[in-house]
Amino acid sequence: MWRNLKIPGLMHFRTLRSKLVFSFLLVVLAGGLASTMIGTRMVGNTIIAEAQNKVRHDMASAWMVYQEKLNRVKDVLHLTAKRDLIIRSLVGRDVEVLRRELERLRIEYGLDVLTVTDNKGVVLTRTRSPYQAGDFQGNDELVRRALKREVVATTEIVPQEELAKDGPELVRQAYMEFVPTPMAKARPETKETSGMMLKAAVPILDINDNVLGTLYGGSLLNRNYEIVDKIKDIIFKGERYKEIDTGTATIFQWDLRISTNVKDKSGLRAISTRVAKDVYDQVLENGRAWVDRAFVVNDWYIAAYEPIRNLKGEIIGILYVGTLEEPYTDIRNRVIYSFFGIAFLGVVMVLILAYFITRSITRPIDELVKATEVIAGGDFSHEVPIQSRDEVGHLAGSFNRMTGTLKATMDELYVLNTKLQDLNRHYLEMLGFVTHELMQPIGVLKGFLVMLDDESLGPLGTPKQKQAVSTMLRNVNALINMIQKYLQLGRIESGKMEVNKVHMPIFAQALQPILEDERQQINARKMEVVIENEESFRKVEGEADPVLLRIVFSNLIGNVLKYGQEGGKIWCGFREEPEEFLFYVKNEGRGIPADQLTKVFEKFSRLGGELERARGGTGLGLFNSKEVVERHGGRIWAESEEGKWANFLFTIPKVPKRS
Amino acid sequence: MERSKVLVIDDEPDFVEMIRMALERQFEVLVAYNGKEGVAKARSDKPDAIVLDIMMPEKDGFTACQELKGDSTTASIPILILTGVGEHFGRTKYTKMSGMEIEAEDFIAKPVDPNELVRRVTALLKK
Repeated sequence: MWRNLKIPGLMHFRTLRSKLVFSFLLVVLAGGLASTMIGTRMVGNTIIAEAQNKVRHDMASAWMVYQEKLNRVKDVLHLTAKRDLIIRSLVGRDVEVLRRELERLRIEYGLDVLTVTDNKGVVLTRTRSPYQAGDFQGNDELVRRALKREVVATTEIVPQEELAKDGPELVRQAYMEFVPTPMAKARPETKETSGMMLKAAVPILDINDNVLGTLYGGSLLNRNYEIVDKIKDIIFKGERYKEIDTGTATIFQWDLRISTNVKDKSGLRAISTRVAKDVYDQVLENGRAWVDRAFVVNDWYIAAYEPIRNLKGEIIGILYVGTLEEPYTDIRNRVIYSFFGIAFLGVVMVLILAYFITRSITRPIDELVKATEVIAGGDFSHEVPIQSRDEVGHLAGSFNRMTGTLKATMDELYVLNTKLQDLNRHYLEMLGFVTHELMQPIGVLKGFLVMLDDESLGPLGTPKQKQAVSTMLRNVNALINMIQKYLQLGRIESGKMEVNKVHMPIFAQALQPILEDERQQINARKMEVVIENEESFRKVEGEADPVLLRIVFSNLIGNVLKYGQEGGKIWCGFREEPEEFLFYVKNEGRGIPADQLTKVFEKFSRLGGELERARGGTGLGLFNSKEVVERHGGRIWAESEEGKWANFLFTIPKVPKRS
Repeated sequence: MERSKVLVIDDEPDFVEMIRMALERQFEVLVAYNGKEGVAKARSDKPDAIVLDIMMPEKDGFTACQELKGDSTTASIPILILTGVGEHFGRTKYTKMSGMEIEAEDFIAKPVDPNELVRRVTALLKK
């Protein structure tokens, strides 16, 4: 499956190198992106989880502060109840002394309420103006239990009329009108009149351990910031982040902020606002702790909320601690940015690395390619430098061996070819020399034989002598003919045959001289030459080399004479075609077999084989003619009806072509 | 009637002998065996016609022909040139393979038919 993985677009790259770099990049990007995403997520989660753990821990500390305060209330009461002066005043019902002493202690210990009852639960005196007394407090759970010698302390809701018994101050301190809070749960009420109090009650005993009465008192939490600020100081040590307190704590009376150090927009403590609905439902309705991020007043906090219960275990409020989320999200963001930065650096480094690595991979290949181009250009001595021991190195090695072998073969071929050329040149030179040198003595022979034959040197004695001379003459003529063909061949083959084209009358300068030269032969064979269309033939003028064209006519005429029927006709003629002149020489005779029509133009071909050798054929005439005609840009071919006639035709272009 | 004098210039004795025999029937034949000798004889003996070979040692026919035609005393003597085989010649011009040309009254290619030679020389003398 992976084998068939095709990365789209990869084939569009023009170089191997860009392909490799792109592949590298793709891998790095994919890997980098994946690890960055997973990494940031993990780090983000870890940081938030850490923050939440810290908040849970802070919550425990907050409870300790809260409890300590409650215990302090209880301890103050406990110790006060054991004071001699208090006991004595109570036994002696000296209410005035009792009130004065208790008020002094209440102020000294910072309590809001400190009240003493008798052993029935009836208030003897309060310690705040108007020092109301005489009401029955025995129904109060704490007082009831204190009368049974218990020392109890708890958080309690204190209704407005109870507060009012200690004067209007506490009523004012507790009274709160709700500030509209966007995410709070809708409630029919618009204000809170009761207060929430850290409250304790202790029995007052005489020496005999009889209950003389109870002492109860407490500290109103509404608008009292001692606890929350202490929590903040202890847990968060007053840390600030971007001018916002990182740590906050709040005490809710039911869902109402009655004591907090969360600030509102104007920088004041955000009391009288209410808790968000989510928290309301989970903490107040279901009694469970709530630890999560929460939008508190103005900012996001990682927050913990836990219910505050009264002595009966009823939920009456919430204790909250929260740490500003922003430092954590900032840390998380910094980590994420670092991740991206590292990933980016990684990509850049990989690109740089890829640049060098791919160079080391592709450079030998580039060199190989260059070398193949050099070698393709014909330089087989070029060697590819082998730089590595990998596949490319092997390839370069094989390549060098291949070129080595090629070079050796080429050199061998070159030597052979040079030898062949030398041989051919020697052969052609010898051919030229021999034929040329032969011509001289044979010319002498021919001259004397002609004179002997026509008896201009005196009569020959016997008919046999006459026949012998005649035969010699005929053979000498054949020999001369052959030598001439070889001379032509020598010139053609050695490439010396220059075509010197001139504008010439074809008939007068090429055909007629040949017919004159062959007159004797024509007469000897009793043949008749018919010039067809003679008048216009004489007017034909073309671009040709007269000497070479004479060779063609000489060979063709010689041929039709040799193979024509004795006493038969020979036709010579021409036709004018649009772009060329067509000439032909035709005879009567046995013709040429169809399968021989092209072969007759081959070198050393001879019609009819052995029999013809006697007639002095060289098998060169038609081959030479073909070479000449083709060098003029024309064509030559033969037509025949076997047993009746043979026709040799060739063309010369009207407009001379470069040949 | 006095017979016409024909000067044959050729370096090959046998060939000269053959030509001499052919021409002797009608003409008085003088011979020279190289170009130098031939030009000298032409000046001294004033032949009526000259048969001149091209390929010769000691001044070839090509040079000899140019000298004879350039000399007022011999310029009027008709010259018949004997050419080698396969070289380029017209009726009055001869072009060497090198492209050089000479003009003469007539040309005949080797190998020579003696009767043809007699006819040509006769024709030259008639002019």
